[in-house]
Amino acid sequence: MYGVCGCCGALRPRYKRLVDNIFPEDPEDGLVKTNMEKLTFYALSAPEKLDRIGAYLSERLIRDVGRHRYGYVCIAMEALDQLLMACHCQSINLFVESFLKMVAKLLESEKPNLQILGTNSFVKFANIEEDTPSYHRSYDFFVSRFSEMCHSGHEDLEIKTKIRMSGIKGLQGVVRKTVNDELQANIWDPQHMDKIVPSLLFNLQHVEEAESESKAASLGALALAFYQPAVPLKVCIPEGETVMVLGSLGRSPSPLQAPEKEKENPAELAERCLRELLGRAAFGNIKNAIKPVLVHLDNHSLWEPKVFAIRCFKIIMYSIQPQHSHLVIQQLLSHLDANSRSAATVRAGIVEVLSEAAVIAATGSVGPTVLEMFNTLLRQLRLSIDYALTGSYDGAISLGTKIIKEHEERMFQEAVIKTIGSFASTLPTYQRSEVILFTMSKVPLPSLHHPVEMGRTGENRNRLTQIMLLKSLLQVSTGFQCNNMMSALPSNFLDRLLSTALMEDAEIRLFVLEILISFIDRHGNRHKFSTISTLSDISVLKLKVDKCSRQDTIFMKKHSQQLYRHIYLSCKEETNIQKHYEALYGLLALISIELANEEVVVDLIRLVLAVQDVAQVNEENLPVYNRCALYALGAAYLNLISQLTTVPAFCQHIREVIESRKKEAPYMLPEDVFVERPRLSQNIDGVVIELLFRQSNISEVLGGSGYNADRLCLPYIPQLTDEDRLSKRKSIGETISLQVEVESRNSPEKEERVPAEEITYETLKKAIVDSVAVEEQERERRRQVVEKFQKAPFEEIAAHCGARASLLQSKLNQIFEITIRPPPSPSGTITAAYGQPQSHSIPVYEMKFPDLCVY
Amino acid sequence: MSMEDYDFLFKIVLIGNAGVGKTCLVRRFTQGLFPPGQGATIGVDFMIKTVEINGEKVKLQIWDTAGQERFRSITQSYYRSANALILTYDITCEESFRCLPEWLREIEQYASNKVITVLVGNKIDLAERREVSQQRAEEFSEAQDMYYLETSAKESDNVEKLFLDLACRLISEARQNTLVNNVSSPLPGEGKSISYLTCCNFN
Repeated sequence: MYGVCGCCGALRPRYKRLVDNIFPEDPEDGLVKTNMEKLTFYALSAPEKLDRIGAYLSERLIRDVGRHRYGYVCIAMEALDQLLMACHCQSINLFVESFLKMVAKLLESEKPNLQILGTNSFVKFANIEEDTPSYHRSYDFFVSRFSEMCHSGHEDLEIKTKIRMSGIKGLQGVVRKTVNDELQANIWDPQHMDKIVPSLLFNLQHVEEAESESKAASLGALALAFYQPAVPLKVCIPEGETVMVLGSLGRSPSPLQAPEKEKENPAELAERCLRELLGRAAFGNIKNAIKPVLVHLDNHSLWEPKVFAIRCFKIIMYSIQPQHSHLVIQQLLSHLDANSRSAATVRAGIVEVLSEAAVIAATGSVGPTVLEMFNTLLRQLRLSIDYALTGSYDGAISLGTKIIKEHEERMFQEAVIKTIGSFASTLPTYQRSEVILFTMSKVPLPSLHHPVEMGRTGENRNRLTQIMLLKSLLQVSTGFQCNNMMSALPSNFLDRLLSTALMEDAEIRLFVLEILISFIDRHGNRHKFSTISTLSDISVLKLKVDKCSRQDTIFMKKHSQQLYRHIYLSCKEETNIQKHYEALYGLLALISIELANEEVVVDLIRLVLAVQDVAQVNEENLPVYNRCALYALGAAYLNLISQLTTVPAFCQHIREVIESRKKEAPYMLPEDVFVERPRLSQNIDGVVIELLFRQSNISEVLGGSGYNADRLCLPYIPQLTDEDRLSKRKSIGETISLQVEVESRNSPEKEERVPAEEITYETLKKAIVDSVAVEEQERERRRQVVEKFQKAPFEEIAAHCGARASLLQSKLNQIFEITIRPPPSPSGTITAAYGQPQSHSIPVYEMKFPDLCVY
Repeated sequence: MSMEDYDFLFKIVLIGNAGVGKTCLVRRFTQGLFPPGQGATIGVDFMIKTVEINGEKVKLQIWDTAGQERFRSITQSYYRSANALILTYDITCEESFRCLPEWLREIEQYASNKVITVLVGNKIDLAERREVSQQRAEEFSEAQDMYYLETSAKESDNVEKLFLDLACRLISEARQNTLVNNVSSPLPGEGKSISYLTCCNFN
């Protein structure tokens, strides 16, 4: 058509003639193949002419587009594609400018067919790996236009789908083309990412709207596909393969979708593209890629049903390079912080997503973010408690603020705790104990240095915070496997934990017991002790028992007294319910299984017998139920320990008592107490001795088998420490008086006064004679001292005093000690004091007067 | 013979509340239609129109954004490279006028500082339901240093004028910049960067 004038044709440059020749007379005929071969050959042999060929071709194409001669447009594009494919990488660069211009021209068109044609060419070009840098290329328009195509709202559904798919493919092309070339426009810049990512997500999310429930099965299959770890990406994915795989998951072919390849829907394509994009993201780019995802989810309020949000983040976590996954977690965390005043449902959504993502991330490295993550979560937990208590987001009740629904906050709190648990369960042991310590340090404790907030809300807040944190702690500790108890329960942690164990609040106490149980249980035995019973043969429990390791023995040496004391005191709590007794039983049993050596066994038996005393003596005025429960607890535990020690005589004694209880007092056995409707007896004071476990009997039988019978004979008395003073339960005064009582009982003075009272005439007489002799001696010494000071030269006296200075000091200390606590004075002087009451001071004091006189 | 089919290329982005008639304005200008019952725009829409002003071909790339809140993030990403913004409101809807300061904040935040902003009050064909007086709008636009125009996409009132005036202003702006910077094309347009092709065209 353009070469009509023959003479002009001959004058035209050769490349123009070659280009003209590939166009047929009738556009229906398609590309003239032989002439195209000629053009290709020419282009290959004279690559320097490529730019001119390209320029001329694009000029023709632009003209044809303007004249609506679409047949020729297609031919020109086909020719360009072929040239592009045929040429060597190095020479392509000359050609690309005109090529991109043509694609842009096609994309500017309103005709869907031309847009798609342009996109397809672009995708082909994108798959060519270039090795020469291209400094001046800009893909701005392409990104903008392809993103726009992703949002196509064409009336015709089929065309709309096609345009959207083209858009996604185009974006994929841009990404492939630019991602590895640092000299080109940085595709990771926010200006591009903010277009690309939302466009992909928009298509990804659309599948759910379009095929919602009816495609539940195929969604399930898709969900399965998400769980596959990301396959290392090749630069060019062969189209066919993936289409086949995804095609089988896609929706059933509608009659509209004729060709096989078109079966893939935009959502699947978008997902693939997103995966590819994320897979290529380097450390510095992750942030820019994730930010638009978060914003998109915010804008489209997709946190609330959260299915899509979770899906997105699963795609993200499985696609990005594992070493970057902690960055995603970090971003989610900061997003959570940014949203701390959003509705609880939104926060709950984010947290849920976080939990899913964290589990995936933990398999990679999350190193530095671990504590940060827990810190944020715990902070959010506290904020939520505040919101729920105050009813508003800013602490002051003001009009116009959003109403906070308490049950939504509760849901959010549960979600946070669940997240804490699921995240912790993926951590290695050493990190877990770090997390546990960290969490514990956040639990508000009443202490002397930090007085607790006063007032109702303050108390309430503290209590809720304690419960929530302990719940989190319980989540973290469940399934915690640590070979070394010392490292699992370091003393600063144990101290804090146990000090909460004596709280007034029954719920908190139960949490502490459960946390202890989950720490101590390392062989999965805990559920075997969930019900308290007196089995006649414990082999049915199939307990897994390991020998107590050396470290564990050291641990018990260090902390056992503390543990016993808390168990003992916990038993005495009046507010205990069945759950508490079950937990106590579990704790006792697990200590005996996990941490027991002979000494521990002896102590535990003493402890349980002391608990029995509590029930029997009933100083605390416990209700009948609690007393029966303590009896039953003792029976169950002694039954267990007797069979664990396998001392036949011991077993027999225990069995005897249990049998007689069965006959006469079933209300003292767990089978009757720990049931829905406990059968109790009102008359449990004055229990017959046959119904009790007797210390003397037990120490006798165990002493025979090599246990420390002397120790067994001593009744258990809990040690009191500072902690008790800190616990809210007891007033300080009470504790101190208790301590004094204990002290005075232990001090030797009391014991020694008893014999001193049996004074006979003989002893009195002897005392008087002795004391007279002592008096005379004293007088003699005094005289000597005075003489010495009168006669001796000053130097001598000074030297003498110097030598005695240190002696004086120690004596003074001794005096102070004595004045505070009555000294264990020698019995001789005591008798002397009794012999001559008030007439003479104790010689020990008198001896010191000269020293004091020196100064 | 130039390879380019235009002398200037400008990117114009339409913004404003949902339902004020942005898409209709663009349609009226580019296709000469007024589609009744136009649905809400999804994300972004793209149209192109080449006009001739004083013998120069000016290509206008028009990005028509969705007014809906949920697409805000993607639409914002289009402001950045815009040469001009058409901020649209509906004269029969007080609410759409009251949102203007918010839109101006968005522009401040996301658009380039050289951007030209035009305030457009659309739907003057519904004069009997007018809620925002012309005077009020004019005062507002003056205070914000914006060019103001009232249009009707339905009656095609002032639509051509809007885009052509804008094109003129963009050209003069571009010329000024060329003088100041002594650069052939300071505007971000993909066409001008490959000038070496055009100069070698004759051999």
